[in-house]
Amino acid sequence: MVLAVESKGLSIGYLDEEDRVLWVVKNVDMQVREGEIYCLVGESGCGKTTLGSSIAGVLPPYSVTRGELVIYGRRVIKDVLRSYEGVRGKLTSYIPQNPGSSLSPYMRIWDQFWRVLREQGLNEKTAKERATAILKTLSLGQGVLEHYPHELSGGMQQRVAIGLSLATGAKVLVADEPTSSVDANLKLQLMRLFKDVRDNYGVTIVLITHDILLAGKACDRIAVMYAGEIVEEGDSTSVLTRPLHPYTKLLVDVVPMLGFKKTLASIPGEPPKPGLLREGCYFYERCPFRDEVCLNHVETQVIDGRRVKCWKPLVDKTTS
Amino acid sequence: MTIRLPTWIGSAVFTVKRVWKRRVRFRVGLIIVSAITLLAILSPFIVPYPSEGWGLIPLNNTNVSGQPPSLNHLFGTDDKGRDLFSRVLLGSSTALLQIVLVVGVSLVIGLTLGVLAAYYKGLVEYSLNYLIEVFLALPAILIAIPLKMAFGPGLHVIIASMVLTWWAWYGRVASVYARSVCEMDYVVIPKLSGLPGYKIVVRHVLRNVSPPVIVQAVTDFGSVLLEASAINFLGFGLPPDYPDWGVIAQNGLYYITKMPWISLIPGFFIMVTALGFSMIGDALRDELDPKLRRRWRLWF
Amino acid sequence: MVASLNYLFKRVFYSVFIVIGIIVVTYLLIILSPGDPAARWAGNPRGPGAGKAIEFARVELNLDKPLYLQVVLFIYNVLTGNLGVSISTKTPVLTAIWTHMSSTLELLIFAYMIGIPIGVFLGVFSSLRRGSFKGDVLESIGFVVANTPSFWTGMALFLVFSEVLGVSSYGRIDTRLATIMGFKPITGFYLIDTLIQGNIILFFDVLKRLIPPAIVVSLYPIGTGIRVVRVLMSEALSEDYVKQAIALGVSRRTVIWDYAFKGIIPGLTQVMGLSFVYSLVDAMIVEYVFGREGLGSLLVGAVVSNDFKLAVATLIIISTFYIIANTITDIVQAWIDPRVKL
Repeated sequence: MVLAVESKGLSIGYLDEEDRVLWVVKNVDMQVREGEIYCLVGESGCGKTTLGSSIAGVLPPYSVTRGELVIYGRRVIKDVLRSYEGVRGKLTSYIPQNPGSSLSPYMRIWDQFWRVLREQGLNEKTAKERATAILKTLSLGQGVLEHYPHELSGGMQQRVAIGLSLATGAKVLVADEPTSSVDANLKLQLMRLFKDVRDNYGVTIVLITHDILLAGKACDRIAVMYAGEIVEEGDSTSVLTRPLHPYTKLLVDVVPMLGFKKTLASIPGEPPKPGLLREGCYFYERCPFRDEVCLNHVETQVIDGRRVKCWKPLVDKTTS
Repeated sequence: MTIRLPTWIGSAVFTVKRVWKRRVRFRVGLIIVSAITLLAILSPFIVPYPSEGWGLIPLNNTNVSGQPPSLNHLFGTDDKGRDLFSRVLLGSSTALLQIVLVVGVSLVIGLTLGVLAAYYKGLVEYSLNYLIEVFLALPAILIAIPLKMAFGPGLHVIIASMVLTWWAWYGRVASVYARSVCEMDYVVIPKLSGLPGYKIVVRHVLRNVSPPVIVQAVTDFGSVLLEASAINFLGFGLPPDYPDWGVIAQNGLYYITKMPWISLIPGFFIMVTALGFSMIGDALRDELDPKLRRRWRLWF
Repeated sequence: MVASLNYLFKRVFYSVFIVIGIIVVTYLLIILSPGDPAARWAGNPRGPGAGKAIEFARVELNLDKPLYLQVVLFIYNVLTGNLGVSISTKTPVLTAIWTHMSSTLELLIFAYMIGIPIGVFLGVFSSLRRGSFKGDVLESIGFVVANTPSFWTGMALFLVFSEVLGVSSYGRIDTRLATIMGFKPITGFYLIDTLIQGNIILFFDVLKRLIPPAIVVSLYPIGTGIRVVRVLMSEALSEDYVKQAIALGVSRRTVIWDYAFKGIIPGLTQVMGLSFVYSLVDAMIVEYVFGREGLGSLLVGAVVSNDFKLAVATLIIISTFYIIANTITDIVQAWIDPRVKL
C-alpha cells in the first residue's frame, strides 16, 4: 500500500502582528493512501484548510511549521524547512474554494492551460489536444478554450479549475470545499465527477469539506478534525455508521438524514479559539463522556483499522 | 484640576509613539524636520549677516564676492558678495512658511468643500467634482506666471498659485473618504432623524474624514516644497533678492561652473527638507494602512 | 460594443467640457487681476504707439462687450487657435509655442524611452525582493530620487559632465558648427533631422547634449515607476489567481510576468500617462538649467518682457494636454482590460 501523503507530528501555525504563533494544526499524523478519495471533515476553523494547503504547497509566508510532511516519499516539510520545488504542479495540485478568482482575468482559458501544460515539455499542438480531452471528460466543449473566465458561468469556471489541476498531471489533488458555492442538487453530481476523475486518471484526492454527509457519500476514508487535531481517521462508512470518537458521533447526530428517524441534537458550546495549545483533549468542555484523565493526556488508539484520539472510544455503541 | 482633552489627541499621540518605535524612516524624518524647524525658528537670532541675508548688497562687495566656503562665511558668498549662510538660514523659515501656508489653506478649503459635496450630494457634488477636475489640470507653475505679471512678484503669488492647484487635490481626497463616511449609520441616522446638516457634518463627518486627509497633507509637505522651489527657481514667484532656497539657486545658475556652492547648497537643503517630510508622511501612511502592516515575504 | 462607445463619447464630451472650464478660469484670471487687462494683454507697452497697442488689445479681448459674450468669444478664439501675436517672439502665439514645444518634447520622449523600461524593471525587481536588503535599498533610492529637486540634479550633472568629463552639455546643438554645415531643422526634432540630412557629426553632437538632461528628466518616471510598480506588484502577487498559478506549478518567471505583471498594466499605464504630463513641466525646468531652447526658456523670456498672452496661452495648452492625457489613459485602460466589454 503506497502512501500518497503522510504526516508525522505535523503542526502548522500563523504569525500574528506581534510575531506570536497561533497554532492551527496540532501534531497531526495523517495517512492518505494512493488512489483513494480522502476527506478532511470538520467545523470552520478546525484547521482542515491549512492542512490541505500544506499538502498543495500554498502555505502563506507568515506560517510556521513543525514535524514532517511526506508526499510520495518526498519530504516537503521537515520542521521549519519547507521544500516544494518540483512538487507543486508535479506531484500536487490544488482546486480552490473560489474558482472564479483563481483564474487570471487577463488570459483566455487556453492560455492558462498552455502555461500549465508547457511545464511538461509538450508542444502546442499536443497540449491543445490534451486540454480538449480533459475538458471533454468534464463535459466542457472545446469552445471554452477561447473564452475569458468572466464569460463563463460559475459551474463552468469550477470545472475549468478542476481541468487545470488535472492538466498538471499531478498525482495528488487537494480540493478545498468544492461544493460550498454549489447548489444542493448539484453537490452530488460534483462528487460523482470527482469519483470519475479518480477512476479515469488514477489520482489521489484529498477533499476538504464541512459537510460530513457528503463526505460519507463521496469518500473512501475520512479524517475528522477538531481544533487542529485529527480525532478520528478511518473508512468512511464505518466512521459514519459506528463513530468511535464522541465528537464524530455528535457530528453525525446533528445532521438530518432523510429516511432515518432520529432525535436531532446540537452540540453545546463553541470550538476553542485557534492558537490555543494544551496537553489534553480539546473537546473536553463539550464532551458528554469526559473524564479527569482526558484533561491531562490523550492517546491515539487503533481500533479496527481506525485511529481514534480518545480514551473512551465508543466501542460497542451504535447510533440510534 | 484635570483638563479633558479631545479624544483624537490621545489616539494621535498613541499612533506617533507606535510609529516612532516601529519605523526607522519616521525617526530619521522627524529628526530632520525638527532640525530644520529649529533652524527656522532660531534664524532671525543667529543669522550672522542679516541685511545680506535679506538681499542687501554689502558695501565692499568686490572683495568679498564669489568666495568659496570659509570661516568667515560658512557657505561662502554669492556673486554679489552676500553671505550665503545667512541667505540659506533665512531661507529655512521662508520654506516652512510657504509649506505651512500652502498646505494649511488648501487643506481647509479642500476638506470643507469635499465634505460638503459628499454630504449634500446632487448638484453640489457634481459641480465640485467638475471644478476639481478643472483646477487639477492647471499646473501651479503655469498659473504663477500670469499671476506674477498681474500682481508683481512676491509671497502672495507663490502661495496663491499653489493653493489654486492644491485645494482641488485635498478636495478630491476628502470627498472620496467623505463619500464612504456618509454612508455610515452614524451619519445616516441623525440625518434621517432631522439633525441639522452642519452639526452632523462637523461632529461626525469631519471628524472621521480628517485623519486620513491630514496624513495625506503631511506626506505632501515635501512635494509642496519641491514644487514651490521650482517655481521660485524659474523666477515665477518670489523676487530675485528674496531669501528663498529656490531663488538663491537661480542666482547661482549662471555661475554654476565657477561658484557651484551658490546653487548646490540651497538645493541640498531643499532635498533634505523634502526628504524629511516625505519620510514622516510615508511612515505614517504605512503604519495606518492595515494591509501593509503585515510583514511580507515572497514565498516562491 | 455599444456600451463602450457610449462610455467613450461620454468621456470625451466630459473632457471637452473641462477644457472649456479651464479656458473660462483663465479668462477670469485675465480680467479680474488689478490694473487694466487690456494694457496687460498688450504687454504693458511704453512709449509711442502704446496707446494704439492697448486699444488693439481691448478689441482683441472684446472688453467693450458684456461679460458673458466676452467669455464666449474668448472660448471661441481659443478653440479656433486665434490667440494673437506674442510680444516677446513677435510671432503668432501658437507658432511660438509649437516650435519651442518640439524641443521640449524631444527631451521628454527620449527621457521616457530610457526611463520607463528602467523604472518598470527595477520596480518588478524591487517588489520581488520586498523585505530583503536589495529590494529595500532600491526602494529607498527611488524614494530619495523622488524628493530631489530636478534643477539641483540638473546642475550637479551639468557640472559633472563639464568639469569631470570635459563634455559640454549646454544647449541643443553646436550652433556654429550647425550653421557652417548648413543644418536645417525639418521636423523640429534635431535627433531625427540630423539623421535625415545624413549629418553624423551633428547627430552625435545633439545626442551628447541630449543625454545629460534626459537623464535628469528620466529620474521622475524611474522613481515613480519603481514605487508604483512595487506597490502594484505586491498587490498583484497576493491575488488568488497568482497563488493558484503557483499551486499549479507554473514556472516562477511566467507567474511574475504573465499573471502578476499583466494584472498591473492598466493601472501602470494610467500612472505613466499622467506622469508624462507632469514631466513636461519638469522638462521645462531642466531645459532652463541646460540652456536649451524650449518651453522653459520661452516662458522665462515671456516673464521678462511681460508677454501675458503667451503665458496665458501656454497655461491653457498645457492644461489641455493634461486632460487629453487623462482621457487617453482612461480609454486605453478600459481597452486593455478584457473584463470591460469593448
